[in-house]
Amino acid sequence: MKAEAQVLKGHLDTLLLASLANGPRHGYAVKEALRAGSGARFDLPTGTIYPALRRLEAAGLARGTWSEAGGRRRRTYELTPAGRQRLSRDRAAWRDFAAAMSAILEPAR
Amino acid sequence: MTSPMIVGYVAGLHRRLPAALADEAADGLIETYEHHLASGTGQQAAAHAAVAEFGDLETVIGEFTRQAPARRAARILLATGPVAGASWATALILSHAWTWPVPAATRLSFGAVLLLAVLALAAAATSRHSYQRTRLTAAASPVILVLDATAVAAVALAAPALTAMLGIAAGVSLGRIAFTAWTLPRLAAR
Repeated sequence: MKAEAQVLKGHLDTLLLASLANGPRHGYAVKEALRAGSGARFDLPTGTIYPALRRLEAAGLARGTWSEAGGRRRRTYELTPAGRQRLSRDRAAWRDFAAAMSAILEPAR
Repeated sequence: MTSPMIVGYVAGLHRRLPAALADEAADGLIETYEHHLASGTGQQAAAHAAVAEFGDLETVIGEFTRQAPARRAARILLATGPVAGASWATALILSHAWTWPVPAATRLSFGAVLLLAVLALAAAATSRHSYQRTRLTAAASPVILVLDATAVAAVALAAPALTAMLGIAAGVSLGRIAFTAWTLPRLAAR
């Protein structure tokens, strides 16, 4: 399980970008999207998603804006054009990698 | 929101993180708590479930600290330090810098200030659970910028001839000056 968490961390940026692909989301919604999209297999501690979203914002891949929800300040993120480009590259790289792994691990009989 | 556990957690976030980061994380924690509360569990059980799902305070503060822009900037400046130092050492030895008209007190002051700035950067770069400590970068990097600029100015004013090695060392320093000038306003904004 620990190994899976490490692998997941290695792909965290791509997963976060993908979770923002369909529109703006705040941290909790991003976490829920990852959990729902993975059939509850990807269940990161919610609190660790916020620093990662900040890092994506600092890298110019996402843009955050403040709003008010339930009397609290809420920060919502959306992809920037650079974020969309990066996600597109990551998707292509993942498809190549997955195809190569499948060819080795599950050769046609 | 009345759970003392959640109130204490949020207070911890505000004590140890800048207001904007604490507000954002607190919103996530409270939403997680409300989600569990809405599913019918009592306040205490909902608070425990929310903290388990969100991550304990040390983990969350540690993650914010690990990814702090100031910590990364300190690491970059420290990583390029040996390159700058080796370039300058080689250049100054080859140029017989001890013969330049620079007072001993100035040389000593330069070394002492450099040492203090490097120690501050090292403290910021190695911080694991103190976001505040990463902010030492904002104090140390302008000093590094001034020292790099001083070294370049000293070459321009005091070196009898500009050698290739001096040019390389000055180039490395100019690169660090550009990086620091680009990074500083971003650190101030966080």
